[in-house]
Amino acid sequence: MLNEPAPERLTEVLRGDRLRRPARDDTSASGLRALLEDHVFDLFGPARRPTPLVVTSARLHDTNRVRALGDATLSRARGILISTLLRLLVAQVHVENPFDDAMAAWRGERPNDSTIEFLVHLDHDQHARLRADVQAHFSVLERGLGVIPSTWLPRTSQRARYLLGGASVELRDVVDLVVGSTQGDVANVALVDVTTSPLGVGAERAMRYHALLQTLRTSVVPLRTVAFSSATGELWTLDVDNDLLMRAVDDVTRVLALDRDAA
Amino acid sequence: MNPLAQRRFTPRDLRELIELAPHDVAEVSGDHRDSLASRFRAVPVSEHRRLDAWMVEQAGRPSRPFVWSPTTARRILGNNALRRVVATPDTILNAVRDEVADQLLRAAAGYARAGSLGHWLAGVAHPLLGLITAEAVNWATQVRECTLGITAPWKVASSDVYFDVAGARTTLRGRRDLVITTNAGRVVVRVRSGQPGKSAGPGLRSDLVVETLAHPDGVAPLRYLGLWPDAGLVLGVEGTMDNVRAGARDFVRTAVAQRRHALVRAA
Repeated sequence: MLNEPAPERLTEVLRGDRLRRPARDDTSASGLRALLEDHVFDLFGPARRPTPLVVTSARLHDTNRVRALGDATLSRARGILISTLLRLLVAQVHVENPFDDAMAAWRGERPNDSTIEFLVHLDHDQHARLRADVQAHFSVLERGLGVIPSTWLPRTSQRARYLLGGASVELRDVVDLVVGSTQGDVANVALVDVTTSPLGVGAERAMRYHALLQTLRTSVVPLRTVAFSSATGELWTLDVDNDLLMRAVDDVTRVLALDRDAA
Repeated sequence: MNPLAQRRFTPRDLRELIELAPHDVAEVSGDHRDSLASRFRAVPVSEHRRLDAWMVEQAGRPSRPFVWSPTTARRILGNNALRRVVATPDTILNAVRDEVADQLLRAAAGYARAGSLGHWLAGVAHPLLGLITAEAVNWATQVRECTLGITAPWKVASSDVYFDVAGARTTLRGRRDLVITTNAGRVVVRVRSGQPGKSAGPGLRSDLVVETLAHPDGVAPLRYLGLWPDAGLVLGVEGTMDNVRAGARDFVRTAVAQRRHALVRAA
């Protein structure tokens, strides 16, 4: 008989070793802000752009992959459906039929979303494939996530926005799941990014970006940043430290330089 | 007009904005109220008008009609849930569920009028109810996080504040989420999503003027604070007479702009 090790649960990874959590760091954020401002000034000079250059985690995740329009919309739809299902799981809602439940919730939240219109017009074969796909991703997600205790203060789809260079650059982010509080004596905020793609270099950049934006937003460095793939069940975790945040600043600077050259 | 205070949204900065708020605040009298009413009466209106800070920030431009959604429902459900948690310690998720259940009970008992939150909740699909719960949990958790750095006594506001302008068929609405009581007076906090725009200051002054007019003695709060957790920013206006006057002027200007838009639409 083949004995496979039990897959690592997200809750266990998030909790980690409580005794080894670093002290709450609320001093690094100002240095990171100054550094980012310096980089933006070096790249764009003192003139303010008429419209801000927007940086998102998707931009860092996926720098130059080109896909057909239909594929991109289907991937986006699958991502939204899985993200919606994550929100339902975290709110401890019983999900009877993943595809139908996610569609019902999404339609109720954004009735005029053009992606819903796109899905309505899929042919039967494409529709059945997407349904099966969502079911498979949901199974992996449900198994990997476990039950997130509500005492951990979970919040889903948490947004962040940060302006640089007098609103010449806007950093935007949405973290799928955030747990923990910024108010304790030790770092205890963990950020979880759920992706429907297999994890790769881009996922690592996105993990760093989430940590950077959380630091800029709350002025407190989070404990760890996690990426979970609902395609493969892979789970990556990085403890947030100064090196990681500096690399995130470099990632953002690189993307800004690319966008400036492309403009 | 006093400048807009802007700080990073950290517990220390928030505490300072509350504890170091100037004690010299405005008091509005009956004459002030009469003067405001006469200005509103000068802007004719065909049906009852309701004005709030959002309309001031939009400079009176017509906005889309209100519809319930997880985003529009989260503030009421989240604040009510947080009030429950403060009264009887429990998890935020349980408190939100209790609040949703109460709304559904009200609807089932026939006490929810058409268009109300309870009426809408009673008709939504089960998965959407889950998403509404998730949004309300987010809101309540966020507001709770804001309160953890506050040392003075605070409470979750039981409702927004309203002021009916006598004889002008006008109701002013001020949004508020937390009311903090210090020895010198009260500080009012409003939590907002996104990031503050250029009109955030006029918006806060509008809330300040409604809060002052609606106070039984016409006393302004020491400060009116806007928290933007998504952007990590706090903006605040002091409760001075200059700010109260500026807020009132913005409301009248908004009424004029609305009237102009209505005339253009009718033409």
